[in-house]
Amino acid sequence: MDEKKEFTPSIIYGLCSWCGTGGSETAGAMHLQYADNIRPFRVPCTGAIDPVYILRALIEGADGFAVSGCHPGDCHFDSGNYRARRRIAVLKSLLDTFGLDSERVLLRWVGHGEGKRFADTVNEFNDYIKEMKKNPLAERRDT
Amino acid sequence: MIKGIWVEGPVKKGVLDFLNGLLAEKKIKAVLMPAKNKGGDSYAWFLMGKDRLLESADPVPPVMTTQGANVVSYLTKKGPVWEKTAVLLRPCEYRAVIELAKIKQVDLTNLVLISFDCPGAYPLEKYVNGDPEELDESFEVCLGGVVELDGPRNVCAICHRFTGTGADIEIGLMGGEGKGFWLVPGSKQGEELLDGAVGSESDNIDVREKAISDRTIARETKRNNTLDSFQETVMGPENLLNTLSACINCHNCSRVCPICFCRECYFDSKALSSEADNMLQRAQRKSGLRLPPDLLLFHLGRMSHMSVSCVSCGACEDACPANVPVSMLFALAGRNTQAVFDYEPGRRLDEAIPHTVFKFEELKDFETPYIKEYSKV
Amino acid sequence: METMIDSRMMMTDFLTALFDKLDVAGVAVMSKLPSGEKTAFTLFTGKDDIKECVPFFPAMPANAARAVSKFTRQAVPSKTVAVFLRPCELRAFTELIKIKQASFDNLLILSYDCSGVFPFQEINLSDETKLNAYRDAVSTGKNCEGIRPVCAACTRFTPQGEDIAISFVGRSTDQPLVFSFPSEKGLAAAEQLGLDVSNTVAASSAVESLAQERRSAEEELTAEVDASLSDTQGLVNVFDRCVSCHACSYVCPICYCKNCYFDSQTFEYFPESYFIRMQAKGALRFPVDRVLFHLGRLSHMGVSCVACGMCEDVCPVNIPVSQIFKTAGSKAQALFDYIPGENYDEPLPLLAYAEQELEEFED
Repeated sequence: MDEKKEFTPSIIYGLCSWCGTGGSETAGAMHLQYADNIRPFRVPCTGAIDPVYILRALIEGADGFAVSGCHPGDCHFDSGNYRARRRIAVLKSLLDTFGLDSERVLLRWVGHGEGKRFADTVNEFNDYIKEMKKNPLAERRDT
Repeated sequence: MIKGIWVEGPVKKGVLDFLNGLLAEKKIKAVLMPAKNKGGDSYAWFLMGKDRLLESADPVPPVMTTQGANVVSYLTKKGPVWEKTAVLLRPCEYRAVIELAKIKQVDLTNLVLISFDCPGAYPLEKYVNGDPEELDESFEVCLGGVVELDGPRNVCAICHRFTGTGADIEIGLMGGEGKGFWLVPGSKQGEELLDGAVGSESDNIDVREKAISDRTIARETKRNNTLDSFQETVMGPENLLNTLSACINCHNCSRVCPICFCRECYFDSKALSSEADNMLQRAQRKSGLRLPPDLLLFHLGRMSHMSVSCVSCGACEDACPANVPVSMLFALAGRNTQAVFDYEPGRRLDEAIPHTVFKFEELKDFETPYIKEYSKV
Repeated sequence: METMIDSRMMMTDFLTALFDKLDVAGVAVMSKLPSGEKTAFTLFTGKDDIKECVPFFPAMPANAARAVSKFTRQAVPSKTVAVFLRPCELRAFTELIKIKQASFDNLLILSYDCSGVFPFQEINLSDETKLNAYRDAVSTGKNCEGIRPVCAACTRFTPQGEDIAISFVGRSTDQPLVFSFPSEKGLAAAEQLGLDVSNTVAASSAVESLAQERRSAEEELTAEVDASLSDTQGLVNVFDRCVSCHACSYVCPICYCKNCYFDSQTFEYFPESYFIRMQAKGALRFPVDRVLFHLGRLSHMGVSCVACGMCEDVCPVNIPVSQIFKTAGSKAQALFDYIPGENYDEPLPLLAYAEQELEEFED
């Protein structure tokens, strides 16, 4: 087996309680297969995800971090997803500034009924991170 | 609105006379401004107004000991001042005051904000270890805006917002060549205070505007070039961690930062403490764990929290015991994150902080588009 | 005095043996950073990286007691972890154990007699001249030029309360390590390490000569500080430059409070009160309560001050904080005949009272 195949990225997937999680449930109901190495975690709203959580995951060993919540206009709390988008925009431009692979962070809205979109997102991101190889920050002891 | 009043004569004395005049006429009741400390080797802020200003008061100090916005915040955090109080601020301090006003850490009621064309400041360490008199002298020479300050702080050398645009009263030094200064009103309140000030109606203020625009252009280029080449030295995990290798994780940068107003910083909180076994696991994953942990997380996380409001005042670097180029890192981060929202901290009071307002359609670049056809399953 | 044993082991052998023979879960020790010229206290869980360790490197970028407190405060490790601490760090650690901010359960504490450190800003891994001078000073038992003033005047440079002591002063770093094992944990470890206890070594005379030099340096320092603080004005002058950043308290191992009283709402006033104080004093200096902070902090932690010198290292305006705290602290400690960090069982003076004491302070 070559090295690339052996690498199973660890990916954290932040899902909001309303749409993101719903999308994953729909994917399950539709019996869609998606990569099993993602670790979903549920937050009340994507607006509750502080960039620090993402940074902490990336520094402590995650190879990628995806965030999915309600489409613009659909947020259960009216504007939490807009907040998430702004925060992730800040985070991604910071990561870009310091050459730390902003592609390891993915933001894509997934509605409750969009099971296919959820499964596709997982697989697409998983493949992408596989290409990117291991996150170098995760292996540095001087962080 | 009058364009400005030209006051001939030595700058510092002229400004003090003007403020003393306002105090005597009871137009203002107090002044908050820096003054030399007793030992003469540093500066501190003083609230004055019992009678005249202190002899040692210095409207344009050569160092920034405590960020002025922090001082204004101490004064007004619990409520507005009841008497008109003038505050003398560096442009970066003024901008930080505006940012703090947006997040309700400063109450601007009854404050008269006065700023000046800032020649920059010396690194605090250089000033307290050096010969203050000598440094004061060479600083004085730069007040007229002709000569650039020799050996300023890194972030001052590339400062492109060196005028107090927006303040109630601006003290125009640029173009005055040290022969005098302009008092430029920036608001209704400022104009009222200038009414009756000693000086001549200005017809030569264009000189200042010219000098400012020249230096702004030069500084903008210098800022971008310097930050670009600095960026090259910190790009990538290896370079970034090399830059941070001297950091001792003391968090003093965040304690002196005017924008970092949180009483309990997330990075000092229990959220980041963990059990010994957990830390051992982390050490195993990373083949070693630097203690105290979470150093990179602190810097990047702090940037994600406050870099859109970073006014590049350089207080962080002055306070850093390990000589990490913190202020440059934050200037670089701030430049890029602020550009995302076309936001400039401290520009206007009514410009909301990006984290607090949203648009329905925006920031498409930061989402990953879903291009696959929605096929029926 | 415990018997000193020649271990016939170099430092790397010893660190490897910790993993192999003592089966420790980790070792926390000063080590080189993967990039840059600096060192940091690092926790290792395997022997692969121990060649990066530099336990005796003369820099203290953070008081390790603070780090180990953070490590053990929530829950102690479930397997033994070996921890290298300088004597002052060990004293601070002991103080922290007394106030329940740390625990020595499952820790194997290693210490050594310390020759002092340079201010952490001033020493890099590649500073060969400085490091050579330091090595010479160590082997001859002298104060090296350039070490921190508070280190040069440190008379408690031999560890107390450790499990394994490494004899450092008077020896060369390229010779096998000399150990003593003052505690039961240490003796058990010695057995597991399989040391030949018959290879005893005499104590080096350099320790005594260093102690002598240190004692006279301490007297000088005390006299100097006393002179600079001779009246109220003296104190105000010393802290004249202070910018009230409170960095000294943040790095202090003894100042463990999460919410420092001096950063609390107590010291935030309504604007009116600032104006009243301004009227009373003529002009009010900001940030306020600067001298109060230093005196107050001294009153809170002075009896436990171990004079580790971190406060002085981080002061952005170079106030000799630790020289003042060392001098003032040892006076407060003398009142109760208390030596901070000497003994785990000795209670803090402010927690143990006698009915008849300190009568000279009553009128």
